[in-house]
Amino acid sequence: MDQMAPARTYSQIVSSQFKKNKLAVISLHVIYVLLFIFIFGDFLANDKPIVMRYKGETYFPVFREYGVKLLGMQWQDAFKSQQFKILEDKYEAGDWAIYPVIPYSSTEYNLKVKLQPPSMSHVFGTDELGRDVLSQMIHGTRVSLLVGFVAVAIYLAIGIILGALAGFYGGIIDIIIQRMIEIMITFPRMFLIITIVAVTETQSILNIMIILGFTGWTGVARFTRGEFLKVKNEDYVVAAKALGYKDFRTIFRHVLPNTLTPVLVTATFGVAAAILIESGLSFLGFGAPPEQATWGSLLSSARATLPTGWWLTTFPGLAIFITVTVYNLVGEGLRDALDPRLKQ
Amino acid sequence: MKKSFLIQFTLLILLIMFANLGDRSEEILIDDELGNAGGIRVELTGDETVFESSEPGLVPEQGGTMVMVQSAEPEHLNSFTSTSAAASRFLNYIYETLLDYDYETWRYDRPLLAESFEMSNDGYTFTFKIRENVYWHDGQQLTADDVLFSIKAVLNPFVDCAPMRSSFSKVVSAGTNGDFIFHITSSETYFRNQEILGGFHIMPKHIWDPEGLLDRYSVEDLLNSSITREEAAIKEFAESFNLNPQGRPVGEDAEPIIGSGPWLFDKWYTGDYMSMVRNDNYWGADSTFIPGYTEDGAYLDKIIVKVISDATASLTALKAGEVDFVPRMRAVQYHTQTNSADFLEKFQKVSYTVPAYSYIGWNNDKPYFSDKRVRQAMTMLIDREAYNKYIAYDMGIPTIGPFYIYGEQYNHNIERWPYDPVRAVELIEEAGWIDHDGDGIRDKDGVPFNFTFSVSSGSTGSRYMALMLKEDLRKVGIVVNIRQLEWSVYVENLRDRQFDVVSLLWIGGLETDPYQIWHSDNIGDRGSNYIGFRNAEADSIIHHARFVMDKEKRNAMYFRLQEIFHDEQPYTFMFYQRDPGAYLKEFHGVKWIPIRPGYKLYSWWRGTSTMESAL
Repeated sequence: MDQMAPARTYSQIVSSQFKKNKLAVISLHVIYVLLFIFIFGDFLANDKPIVMRYKGETYFPVFREYGVKLLGMQWQDAFKSQQFKILEDKYEAGDWAIYPVIPYSSTEYNLKVKLQPPSMSHVFGTDELGRDVLSQMIHGTRVSLLVGFVAVAIYLAIGIILGALAGFYGGIIDIIIQRMIEIMITFPRMFLIITIVAVTETQSILNIMIILGFTGWTGVARFTRGEFLKVKNEDYVVAAKALGYKDFRTIFRHVLPNTLTPVLVTATFGVAAAILIESGLSFLGFGAPPEQATWGSLLSSARATLPTGWWLTTFPGLAIFITVTVYNLVGEGLRDALDPRLKQ
Repeated sequence: MKKSFLIQFTLLILLIMFANLGDRSEEILIDDELGNAGGIRVELTGDETVFESSEPGLVPEQGGTMVMVQSAEPEHLNSFTSTSAAASRFLNYIYETLLDYDYETWRYDRPLLAESFEMSNDGYTFTFKIRENVYWHDGQQLTADDVLFSIKAVLNPFVDCAPMRSSFSKVVSAGTNGDFIFHITSSETYFRNQEILGGFHIMPKHIWDPEGLLDRYSVEDLLNSSITREEAAIKEFAESFNLNPQGRPVGEDAEPIIGSGPWLFDKWYTGDYMSMVRNDNYWGADSTFIPGYTEDGAYLDKIIVKVISDATASLTALKAGEVDFVPRMRAVQYHTQTNSADFLEKFQKVSYTVPAYSYIGWNNDKPYFSDKRVRQAMTMLIDREAYNKYIAYDMGIPTIGPFYIYGEQYNHNIERWPYDPVRAVELIEEAGWIDHDGDGIRDKDGVPFNFTFSVSSGSTGSRYMALMLKEDLRKVGIVVNIRQLEWSVYVENLRDRQFDVVSLLWIGGLETDPYQIWHSDNIGDRGSNYIGFRNAEADSIIHHARFVMDKEKRNAMYFRLQEIFHDEQPYTFMFYQRDPGAYLKEFHGVKWIPIRPGYKLYSWWRGTSTMESAL
């Protein structure tokens, strides 16, 4: 059979299977867009110009901001107050500035334009402090995706290690880890998270990520354990043992790579779930600190203005819906593509 | 495909960016005039001491029911042991006091249950002559014994009313002289004595102490801890008093609450409503009821106080005709959700004032705020006008100090600090807060100007304030962190003085004593001066003014005190609050007063065109 078609690698097979699922492919592209916003958010929505010419010199304020925040650089004396829009009054001939597409930051407020419906100057409208909703949503994308990825990374690490140990060794280790999992899943997750958040001293996104990570690992652990049980009596594992490899090497070099793929597929769903939980927490006021724009907190501020202010509910709601949906669709597409029974 | 998509997307973004370069679009301004949203604004300035929002001059009619909303339900209805405003608001219609406010001068000197009263020449003793025509709701006559019993109940150390008892801590003796003379003596000539000693609810002795357990003890005995420890009867009384189920059990079986006021307790269904009916045998029905306020007794047959805790739900109930009067709605409801022609035709919207002011409290003991120049600067950095206009829907009345703006203590000669960020930054620099180490944040003696604004998680107003302050101060090199706390934790931190900045509301009265909040005695040990305001002159004024009985002289001292507050800016004083409300237009005689809760239902009556109430 092999001779009839050119040999294809595993990833080629998977990717061709995946491409047959149109919806999943579109979703993947939406994720690329989200990632683009995630990385270049500061260049898309900011109250600082990307490039500006001021008194004969060229400046790059958005880049400078990274320098100030990350490298301990200083703002130039003229820009100490960081109010670039006010500086425009002092422009001389030949001075200019290129602003990002949305020339507002997520925290910049203007009470005079509070609760404006979508218009040319505020494409998604403004909230009750006159902050630009689109800018807040762009910066909220960061929070959502970051929470999704980091939380899932944390619980994957915990879940895979515990699952691998339980599955590989069995016996007393398996029993202990299994009981730990059972104890964890007896608590309703949202309830557990709210309880922990309520007792933490400060509100921060990092806390949310860690809490989501430490409460979400049970599914992954069970899954990994199951995969290990399936694989651990395969010939190559027995061979590895016979060759006298250390357990560490056997687990992580030989068994794990062969069990990981299905685990990673569930992680895709996990990202969607984490984003949803973070939005829920922010909506309830337990999530990100108040100055941090997130989709959930935008929704929650909309609640106070109902029934007016449809744009405050619609756009963040859509953003959450679309993001969660595309992650689920991509996850589904991957799962189907990886399923050997569907291979044709 | 991946790459081409990304490139396309980037190109699109760049295109929009350059399109944007030409015109930085102008902002659309919302209507600058908020107006009153079709409501009436109660102003109690000048000679106006009572404000009528309904058509004046109509002849009142008796009858009709009114259903009003209250957001909280009392835990029980024992006037002395309850601490909730919901209970005292309800019981104020059922029980009466010896004296009450004069509705023209707003001084606490109108005899109510007392026919007359006098203060001894030395100012220590008050003697009240009780009216001889006052009867309890069950027909028994009210005598000086009931008054003496009531004060004994308050002073009994085993009765659960410590917060109330603390106001009476200077009482040294009290007694009766015949059936209708009651006298009470205090160890201090405190200026609020008249209000305190004539202002407690008189409760019927024959209901609360039928066995006369307290008869054997005088007020002096009750103040003597060696006697109260020994005598079992004192404790026995307190135990039964603390548990007396007046108004309980619920519903039809409820034991009536026996008072002397113009309304009788009717029913209480927990979680649903409390109600009262007019007392047709009211002792005061024939006499002029409250001069300047209402000529006759109460008019309404029945008042139902419905408990609806959610603001949205209570507005819905009003629109649906389930309730007639919502005394407090949210400002956003008042301004944006009740403007339909239908609503305005059927209901009258009113915004009225209550003696409660909002403020931002700077912890004076923190390095950032220990210098008054910094506190002045902070005040000048907050655009209070804009906040009031855009966030509070113009529902605030700017204040310069802690005294009620419609009271006699308020100093109208002081100008508010302006909004002046430039001058503010100068002051901050004068105080030594300069960016010495060049990290973009101001610092002094190695301490960066980086403080935390504590916000109670329920309060949207202070959250907005904190967000605005954070954004504004970032631009002048000061870092603000916002911390949202649960109310119970918030209060706990406040008492322990574990905060940098708080934003809160003080509820006061027409005439208040600044001792509790502003004297340096009350710093620490969970005192109310939690921001740590210390000023020797202020301390001396606050202390001495307490014992100045001459109102003019005392107020002159408080005028000076307000100048000190203004200069020191221990708080940034924000606004006295307007409460927005709405009632069915069928009601007449709707009058608004400067004391809490801002209205009294005595004068309200319902026009003949009334349909039966929906309840």
